[in-house]
Amino acid sequence: MRRYRVTHRTAYGYDDDVTDSYGVAYLTPRSLPWQEVRAARVEVAPVPADARDDVDCYGNTTTWFQVTTPHRRLVIDAVSEVDVAELEHDAAALAMPWERARPLVHPDLPDAWEVTDFALPSGLAEPTRGAAAYGAQSLTRRRPLGEAVLDLMHRIHRDFEYDKTATTVTSTVADTLEKRAGVCQDFAHLTLACLRAHGLAARYVSGYLATDPPPGRERIVGADASHAWVAVWLPLSGGWLAIDPTNDQVAGERYVTLAWGRDYGDVPPVKGVIFTEATTSTLRVSVDVAPLEVSAG
Amino acid sequence: MTALRDYVAGLAQPTLAGGAEPARYDEVVAPDGGLRAAWKGLAELAVGLTPADLARVDRDIARVLEDDGVTYAPPGRRTEPWRLDPVPLIVDAAGWAPLEVGLAQRAELLNAVLVDLYGEQRLLRERIVPAAVVRGHPGFVRVVAREGAVDRRPLVFAAADLGRDAQGRWRVLADRAQAPSGLGYAMENRRVVSRVMPELYREAGLHRMEPYFWAMRSALLQSANGDLADPRVVVLSPGTHSETAYDQAFIASILGFPLVQGSDLVVRDGWVHLRVPGRLERVDVILRRVDAAWSDPLELRGESQLGVVGLTEAVRRGRVRVVNGLGAGVLESPGLLPYLPAACEALLGEPLRLPSVDTWWCGEPDGLEQVLDRLPELSVRPIDGAADALRGLGREELTARLLAAPHRYVGQERLPLSQAPTWERTAPGRGRGAGGAGGRVRPRSLTLRAFTLRYGSSYRPLVGGLATVHGEDLHDPVGRTTKDVWVLKGTPGEPDQNLAEVLATTSARSVSVTVPRILEDMFWFGRYAERAEDLVRLVLTTHAVAEDYKTRPGTTGAVSLGVLLGASARLAGRRHEDDVDAEFRSLLLDGERSGSLAHALGGMWEALAGVRDQLSPDIWRVFGATDRAADALRADPHSHQIAESAGRALTGILSLQGVTASMMRDPGWHMIGAGRSIERALQVCHLLRATVTERRGLDVDRTVLGCVLQAAESAVTHRRRYRGYVRPASVFELLVLDADNPRSLAFSLGEVAAHLAALPASTGSSRPERLVADLLEQVRAQDVATLVAIGGVGRPNLEAFLERMTASVARLSDAIAEVHFASGPAPRLLGAATLVPGDPGRPEGPELVPARAEDAADAAVAGDEGAAAAERPDDPEGEAR
Repeated sequence: MRRYRVTHRTAYGYDDDVTDSYGVAYLTPRSLPWQEVRAARVEVAPVPADARDDVDCYGNTTTWFQVTTPHRRLVIDAVSEVDVAELEHDAAALAMPWERARPLVHPDLPDAWEVTDFALPSGLAEPTRGAAAYGAQSLTRRRPLGEAVLDLMHRIHRDFEYDKTATTVTSTVADTLEKRAGVCQDFAHLTLACLRAHGLAARYVSGYLATDPPPGRERIVGADASHAWVAVWLPLSGGWLAIDPTNDQVAGERYVTLAWGRDYGDVPPVKGVIFTEATTSTLRVSVDVAPLEVSAG
Repeated sequence: MTALRDYVAGLAQPTLAGGAEPARYDEVVAPDGGLRAAWKGLAELAVGLTPADLARVDRDIARVLEDDGVTYAPPGRRTEPWRLDPVPLIVDAAGWAPLEVGLAQRAELLNAVLVDLYGEQRLLRERIVPAAVVRGHPGFVRVVAREGAVDRRPLVFAAADLGRDAQGRWRVLADRAQAPSGLGYAMENRRVVSRVMPELYREAGLHRMEPYFWAMRSALLQSANGDLADPRVVVLSPGTHSETAYDQAFIASILGFPLVQGSDLVVRDGWVHLRVPGRLERVDVILRRVDAAWSDPLELRGESQLGVVGLTEAVRRGRVRVVNGLGAGVLESPGLLPYLPAACEALLGEPLRLPSVDTWWCGEPDGLEQVLDRLPELSVRPIDGAADALRGLGREELTARLLAAPHRYVGQERLPLSQAPTWERTAPGRGRGAGGAGGRVRPRSLTLRAFTLRYGSSYRPLVGGLATVHGEDLHDPVGRTTKDVWVLKGTPGEPDQNLAEVLATTSARSVSVTVPRILEDMFWFGRYAERAEDLVRLVLTTHAVAEDYKTRPGTTGAVSLGVLLGASARLAGRRHEDDVDAEFRSLLLDGERSGSLAHALGGMWEALAGVRDQLSPDIWRVFGATDRAADALRADPHSHQIAESAGRALTGILSLQGVTASMMRDPGWHMIGAGRSIERALQVCHLLRATVTERRGLDVDRTVLGCVLQAAESAVTHRRRYRGYVRPASVFELLVLDADNPRSLAFSLGEVAAHLAALPASTGSSRPERLVADLLEQVRAQDVATLVAIGGVGRPNLEAFLERMTASVARLSDAIAEVHFASGPAPRLLGAATLVPGDPGRPEGPELVPARAEDAADAAVAGDEGAAAAERPDDPEGEAR
């Protein structure tokens, strides 16, 4: 088990007054069997005239806010302390032929109705023909589910380059496939598209990955980032297999889960609408995932 | 032979001869060749109608619809006139009763389905309804699917499209729950038919529709959350370019609730408010005609300019009621249809009474097999797209698509539909002239849109509806028309709509709303109305000179003609240098030409369409009059028709004064007046600058001055005041400085000042008020001798004065816009946070691009496809090119 303090600051700057700023944030970590949230708060400055936390249809905590004080700088700070444990996966589920794990084909499976949402296409993870073809090479006939999914993860890690100039927030699965490059969010969407094109249920997970400093160097505060990965439904086990195609590994106790949805669009860390005459804005994000000592006992 | 007997005889023959044709239920003729019961009582009146009678009624209908300005904008096409067939669809009480029961049950079921899908989800959990049918439909709105936000009455107003099978049983083709349209059109149809066929209407003993609107008003007032004494209800429209803009405005107007657009509303502290200048007024109920997806750019489609930022949160907190609920659109998924019987048993514990058209969802193996087997005879459509999305695909391609994503499609039986006698014009145009009747009655297939309202604790269908008569192709809007639907009473004493207990809305507080957008539309209505009038007067004056002198070059008259043409050129440029009649026609008819009459009328239409609910329907008659004048001008090549049509257009435009005279003296009325006076001030400056600042010899100058008086509608006044002796000084005095002449610059500015003073945002020292006071001061200080003074070939003082005035009045107009129409900047999406650390290079952050209006124009709105923000027609302050 590991313990982290996550500090996530999102700061917008504008060249003119913003009179009204409405926002929704998905910045409170989820409480999960393998993740305990010891403390969490989201603060907005200037102080919102109106704010409310709610739980969305996937069980994520959302923070809705409206700032009515004219401002040129908007800062959203999220600070939390979480314990994360390593996750055990059900061996039988990993070994079943992947075809058995398609909720639309086997609606009689327990919970199939509930995970159907994650098997259907969604806006940013469009299961294109290209994605179907790419996925087909891993999802071969009657291949065990776990093996097929990990193979897909390995291939994406191998075939695609991490390049933050290749894509933007609005890039599509087709863009990523064409450029053979992208960032974690693109790889997550691509993985989702490949899996859903073949009928598997998979969700987009937003969160953080704790990184170690290079050997012999101090940890640099604020150098971490938001992260995104994918979890695949394992029928009959009550569980999901979380994979990180960006780092080619199964997501374990270094992964802090914020929220999940069908794709990025369901759970962006912050989104908003502003009213202003401003013509330019700046955005600075800094994330720090600091490991904490777990006191014995 | 009467029209209906012809029809009966025509039906009898092919069925006897052919026999193989698919059986189709006829709404009028029973299988034995006699009239159906509903028509028997009307036999004498209805059956006696000759083709000539029907042609007359058809013409009258077209005329009334034109006068009322009833329009419809089919997706991707220009706004077109609404169409209504003279022969109503008549259903008797016995025929209606089962439908009424079935519709009420269906609405109750659909409401229960919604409550379940956004709450407990028993239907999905127990696999009564496949999850993909719901979750794969874009109408399922996840942001309202939350535990704390369950709406127990999400469905307040539903519609169903129905068709008959061969046996005459009604079947539901599709449910409409997103934002059902058509009730306003149905009422308009009724108004028109009752006006053009009063005898038949009186004799028929049908259910009148008005009480249904009282019930609807009361249902909306009651749907406010909590126990409010005086809840505020608004009708939220996507704007004047939406497919059913007329319908929306009509409903708002008949219910007495203001018609607003998304930008008129604002969310504060979780409550929705109307942006009235200087304060915020809380809104409790929103009758929504904007599709849910476009209703909140914060949590739904971000590029939408049609919605209200924060609306979803206000809904989730129960602080505003949206009708229908934001999640209601999922009921339109055709994938639900096969599962409704089981859902009805599960949720209501009773069998479904009103069957749907046979439908198979391809996500189930049996359904897929059934559909693939019967592919050619079935209609296949995606559950998340338009009914005709797959039209034209070959069998192979269709099969491939079905197999690739079976859960996305349904196959539906094609109903034969019923047929009814429908008037078909044979002669072109409006059928005038030709000796024959100009048409005949033919059997055409129809569907019926029925409406159901949650009233009290139960659902009440409208006793009536809107029938659509289809052309050859059910999905092709070309050739479509509509019919009024008459449901006959069982006994003469039956209350209309069976709603004896509803009172005519006692608290009908007809609220006029003065949000900035509405004031802006009123202002531009005033400006365009004045612009149209002044241009017509100028054309009439110029045309009269042209008639006398156009063939006599070099004469005084011909030179004067050139000067006057310079005045219209200043406003609209010059198109036809050599053909003065062609120039006049273009000035009147060419809607693309900025400065033309047609252009001004177009701008006026746009402005009025945005405030349709605020004005008397009589106002639309002006367009009937000007359209007919334009038609006559197009049809007649003779020069005298120019004056004739311009004169008729002028009569129509002048009738606007009669309508505005009866308006409440509210801020909207003052804005119309301010717009009119500003335009008049500008127009008189333009006219004088174009004509009299240059001297061209005594004779020409005198002729021109006379014409200027004519064009400025001051000739009679001048004659009375100055005994007909036309001199520059007297003309300038009368048109510029005389504060008693309603056509003068001084008078117009005085009017602007008075109207501005009456507006709520005026403080006495607001910028527009200061500007107009300053202008008035300048005009008062001006003496006429200075203006008349000669310098070279011109009158430099006059020229300079008019130039100054024109610029100042234009500034005044801008200042009014700034103070009174400003509703703040448009909403913009905040740049998305990136997932890359310390990342200066990624471009998505700092973007601050406002969502473009063009994107919104492709938006699906109000259950239909339509458009959004109107572009303000240009303003002729810019000088002639």
